[in-house]
Amino acid sequence: MRQGQSGLSDNIAGASSRRGFLARSGRLLIGVAGGGFVLEAMRAQKAEAFHFCGHIYTTGSCPHPVGLPRIDAKGFPLRAADGKPVDDLGRPVDKLGRPVDAKGALLRDPDGNPLPPAPRTRVCTRTGREFGFRPQIDGAWYRCCGGRIRKLVDCCGYVRNRINGDAALTGYCYRGRRVFCVMYYDTKIKC
Amino acid sequence: MVGTVSAARQRGRAGAAFAAGLALGSAAIFTALAAVGAVVGGRLVLVVAVAIGVAAVVSDALGLRVRPQIHLQVPEPWRRTMPLGRALFLYGLLLGTGLTTYVPATAAWALPVLCLALGSLGAALAIAAGFAAGRALPVLVLAARGGETVLAERPHGLRLLRVLAAASLLCALVAGRVEAAVTVASPGGDPSVIGTELAWQQPGVGGFLRRGGVTAPLPGDSPAVGATFVVWHKGPLVTLADRTTLAPVLEDSVPGVQKFAVSRSWLAYRTPTEIHVRPVSETGPGTTVVKVTQPATLGRPALGVDLVVFHRASRDASWITAVNVVSGRRLVFRYSRDDQLLNPSLLDGQLLYVRSTRCSQQLVLGRARGKRDRVLYQIGPLAGQDAGHERHHTRQGEHLPCPFRPRPTARMLWTTALSPTTAYVTVLKPAPGGRTVPTLLAVTRR
Repeated sequence: MRQGQSGLSDNIAGASSRRGFLARSGRLLIGVAGGGFVLEAMRAQKAEAFHFCGHIYTTGSCPHPVGLPRIDAKGFPLRAADGKPVDDLGRPVDKLGRPVDAKGALLRDPDGNPLPPAPRTRVCTRTGREFGFRPQIDGAWYRCCGGRIRKLVDCCGYVRNRINGDAALTGYCYRGRRVFCVMYYDTKIKC
Repeated sequence: MVGTVSAARQRGRAGAAFAAGLALGSAAIFTALAAVGAVVGGRLVLVVAVAIGVAAVVSDALGLRVRPQIHLQVPEPWRRTMPLGRALFLYGLLLGTGLTTYVPATAAWALPVLCLALGSLGAALAIAAGFAAGRALPVLVLAARGGETVLAERPHGLRLLRVLAAASLLCALVAGRVEAAVTVASPGGDPSVIGTELAWQQPGVGGFLRRGGVTAPLPGDSPAVGATFVVWHKGPLVTLADRTTLAPVLEDSVPGVQKFAVSRSWLAYRTPTEIHVRPVSETGPGTTVVKVTQPATLGRPALGVDLVVFHRASRDASWITAVNVVSGRRLVFRYSRDDQLLNPSLLDGQLLYVRSTRCSQQLVLGRARGKRDRVLYQIGPLAGQDAGHERHHTRQGEHLPCPFRPRPTARMLWTTALSPTTAYVTVLKPAPGGRTVPTLLAVTRR
């Protein structure tokens, strides 16, 4: 029975997310309707089962220059700690991809020229290149994390196995593609 | 231990089991130390390791009493209660860790600390192999010759062993010193070298030329040496001079000029967005070899016989490209969509350049038209990594960029120069306001 209720909470959480829900109100609704048990089950998922907030299931992060797979709206890597854009070497960079120091000042060589930019690649694109598949971002789902809506993004491809090494799931991928790894984009929308 | 091995019916198998245990035990302990060293190591650990190494060399060379000693012995009952092969394997495993029984030479104590200081898996495995061999060989040789009491009866053998250990350790310490980079000038950078003559730029001061151990200032900036020439500029005024007498051979005005390369036949120069090349005896803008749009950048040019080599770095990729000045043919020597390839130098078909990867910065040397490079000098990457998982969440599914936790540095490997014996590299250290201060290092070519 307990297992059944836990599965129900998964289904409810998953289904509501797919319809563009506001996670907070969803949780409140569930809390009111289903009682503390379901709410507790969702909390447990967040706290114990997955490596970043909002992630459901167990697919691993996409390779990211800094670690946590935070991306911007276009899929380029951001540093999770402060949301600053980083290049493929993990350095903070300006809008043109040139390296900057901790205070955001453009780094220059001794002649005063900006230091050269390093490659900056979309996280999913680089993953596809590294693991030998054609990457595609299909769908996404949303959660409330740290008081902001977080968009969780699947990096999809025609793959049998996911980055974890075991069988890949369909997730939010279409046309036979499957989830290889996951990323997230923190929006500015409060929740 | 000699008695146990020689008591076996199949001495070969027993010896092999003992050696395998030693190898495994030492590999485990030394690689674990290297892994710890990769995280916590630093200059202080290195200094302590070298100090212990020197003390061990002195102790073994003079035959001083070996201190400290561990009085814990391997469990004797194993040889009676277990099959001999298994017991010897386990004895080897314990002895390999270096945490049991007496050690015959002080050098044994220097090895774990060196592993910790180096923080390198490869070095740790090499040290482990040496340690295991050093412990296994005397036992196996004496077991084969039936001389269990030889060392006790003839202490000269042990004395010789300690002298050899001291010599080996001394060689390793000296080699480590040779491998390390030596500071040539600070502040100083953008080296150019021919034979034993080295030119470099000191920011805000000007160019310098060192020959025969004597360093002299040059009357201009960004000097480059090649064939019989030295070239520098003062604002837009470019001066090509005789390298021996420094007497000007040719003067010309080139707006925006920043860096040079010169050879017997050609002069190449770089402006912020272009590289030009022209015959060394002519004036004028010459031929435009390459042009980029910012934010892409071009590196300092280097010249082979008829080849001008440079890097081009953009947000998409980086290239080390050579252009044949005579035919106009382009060759891509190196290309990467992941790493940053910077500031090549060319000498006798050998290419020296900087490769910045996510997990390290390397000064690498290889054949210009080949693909295999070897690392001459390496420092940490330009950025660290986070935990890979959010707070209060599990590690399941995290994916970190580097296998070891990197030790990031703000220092950046920059321009290079190559001589038959030495590789030179500029290291940029950030200063307030985004400025960088260069230091010129020399690394011995192996």
